[in-house]
Amino acid sequence: MSEPHAGDHGGGDRIRLRPARREDLPHLVPLLLRLKRLNEEFDPLLKVRADAEEKAAAVLAADLENPQSVLLAAEGSGPDHGKLVGVVRATVRERPFYTPEKEGVILDIYLLPLYRRHGVGEYLLGETTRRLAELGAGIVTAEFPNQNEIAGKFYAKRGFRPITALHAKTL
Amino acid sequence: MGGTARSPPTDSAEPSSAEAEANQTLELGRRAVRLARFYHGKMETVPTVPVRSLEDFSVWYTPGIASVSEEIRQEPDLAFELTGRANTIAIVTDGSRVLGLGDIGPEAALPVMEGKALLFKTLGGVDAVPIPIRVKSAEELVETVLRLSPAFGGINLEDIASPKCFYVLEELARRLPIPVWHDDQLGTAAATVAGLLNALTLTGRSLQEVRSVLLGAGAANVVTARLLVALGHDPHLLSVVDHKGILDAEREDLDELSVRNPWKYRLALQTRGGGRRGSLADALVDADVLIAASTPDPNTVRAEMVRSMHPGPVVFALANPVPEIWPATAREAGAAIVATGRGDFPNQVNNSLVFPAVFRGVLDARASRIPDEIVLAAAQELARHAADQGLTPEHLLPTMEEREVFPFVAAAVATEAVRLGIARRKLSHEEFLERARTRMARPAALAKALSDAGLIRSMPEEGNR
Repeated sequence: MSEPHAGDHGGGDRIRLRPARREDLPHLVPLLLRLKRLNEEFDPLLKVRADAEEKAAAVLAADLENPQSVLLAAEGSGPDHGKLVGVVRATVRERPFYTPEKEGVILDIYLLPLYRRHGVGEYLLGETTRRLAELGAGIVTAEFPNQNEIAGKFYAKRGFRPITALHAKTL
Repeated sequence: MGGTARSPPTDSAEPSSAEAEANQTLELGRRAVRLARFYHGKMETVPTVPVRSLEDFSVWYTPGIASVSEEIRQEPDLAFELTGRANTIAIVTDGSRVLGLGDIGPEAALPVMEGKALLFKTLGGVDAVPIPIRVKSAEELVETVLRLSPAFGGINLEDIASPKCFYVLEELARRLPIPVWHDDQLGTAAATVAGLLNALTLTGRSLQEVRSVLLGAGAANVVTARLLVALGHDPHLLSVVDHKGILDAEREDLDELSVRNPWKYRLALQTRGGGRRGSLADALVDADVLIAASTPDPNTVRAEMVRSMHPGPVVFALANPVPEIWPATAREAGAAIVATGRGDFPNQVNNSLVFPAVFRGVLDARASRIPDEIVLAAAQELARHAADQGLTPEHLLPTMEEREVFPFVAAAVATEAVRLGIARRKLSHEEFLERARTRMARPAALAKALSDAGLIRSMPEEGNR
């Protein structure tokens, strides 16, 4: 797999996205946890559990082993070269009843606040989508908390629309 | 900040007198309650027109008044000309953060709003109507003020909790064609910046080069930071510190802030902690300036922290009623200049120096809003006036006795509104100055006439007066 820069997106001037390596995992865990804590801000049903850190480590390690998963690390550039500033998790799922038959699901995208904007989101989405397509996905979807309006607007602006809804109730 | 009472400056009050201070506050409170019972409110409405006989009402009221309404219907801005709208503002609160009392609700906020109305009238010649509102959300507050606005030439937001106050001010300023002000943000920040400009002059520093620490990231300091950067302060030499430490761009709670307090979030990204991480002590090492607007506790900033600052630092400890460090302690630790929010120490950073004159200015110019340029114009005029009177480490800002500064600040504000193209009435600086002087002189003349006639009753005998 190539390790491209952003090209004309502009975002890749600030960060570089590459497949995660095992040695990245300790740095990716806190980034993933930051995202989950942000999700908690949007909805109490997304309350982060006490052992989330251990779970994050396990989930990321499993992603690395899974050929259907995309796990990307975002590295800073310039003075931040080599520093991990973001993480992307995505996976390809079978759609037994619908076409296209394979769905690339963007599960988690997190970037440290300082590295956001300036076309970086565009770059992350483009790179992730490209890799999901390489794994055979014919449709790309994104999961995020319903209350996260910023995420909703980000995807809507790029041609995404809601197709299913996840309604929840605590038991 | 905000207190206008002033007794002769003294340096002796400090830890040992904390008890005396508390006793004095208690006594003032008892007196306020006694006088509130005696006077039943601090303001009343009084006609501005003669009523010689009942027939005059057919001009002041129906049928004659219908023609005035008709004119305003044709041209709504004529309300500023043909009614009292141009000199009338609303003092709006939801009672969510009243003084140091917290969320006490709209009824309990009323006496404070009446007091503010009295200050507006006495110091600025502005007719201010106290309007505490029962609302649950910031959106409701905004909607309510929007609906009330046709009666007013300006809106003064008061005692609204942070960060709700940022949203309410931004939203109202965006949607209303009249000036909107929140004193806890803009008034305090303007007075702080005015004092700081002179403190830097006195200590031979340039705003472009100093390293500053803002302790507290509430209403006042969020705006102070914005104004300092607008004046040329390097944001990367500015550390904002709150109860969790330095607000750096990678702090754990930053994502939470992006949702709950985007103003503070943006400040974190803009300043990046001033290049530092850690605690207040870490931020202060080698800093030139500390502006504390945080917790009323004299041990918040310790002497050794001041000692770690760049030699001869500027220390503003603005919490009320007790500063974050006692002035004498700060000076003993090397501070070249100390300011507080209190009138009984030198250098009171007092927003009462700002809001009456700012409203006088924007109302006289019939400005449509109050952008930061206007806030800075007020701050710079205050600074200039204090400098004209002679700067010393004990005289950074005009005191409340230097009342002659008010019309100058008003005229500077109005002139800036004209320059920015947001004034409906474009007069010269001289004309604005004259108008402000006339308007500001009127309340004293009124009060004297009413007192002489016995219509404002003398203070009842209270033993100590």
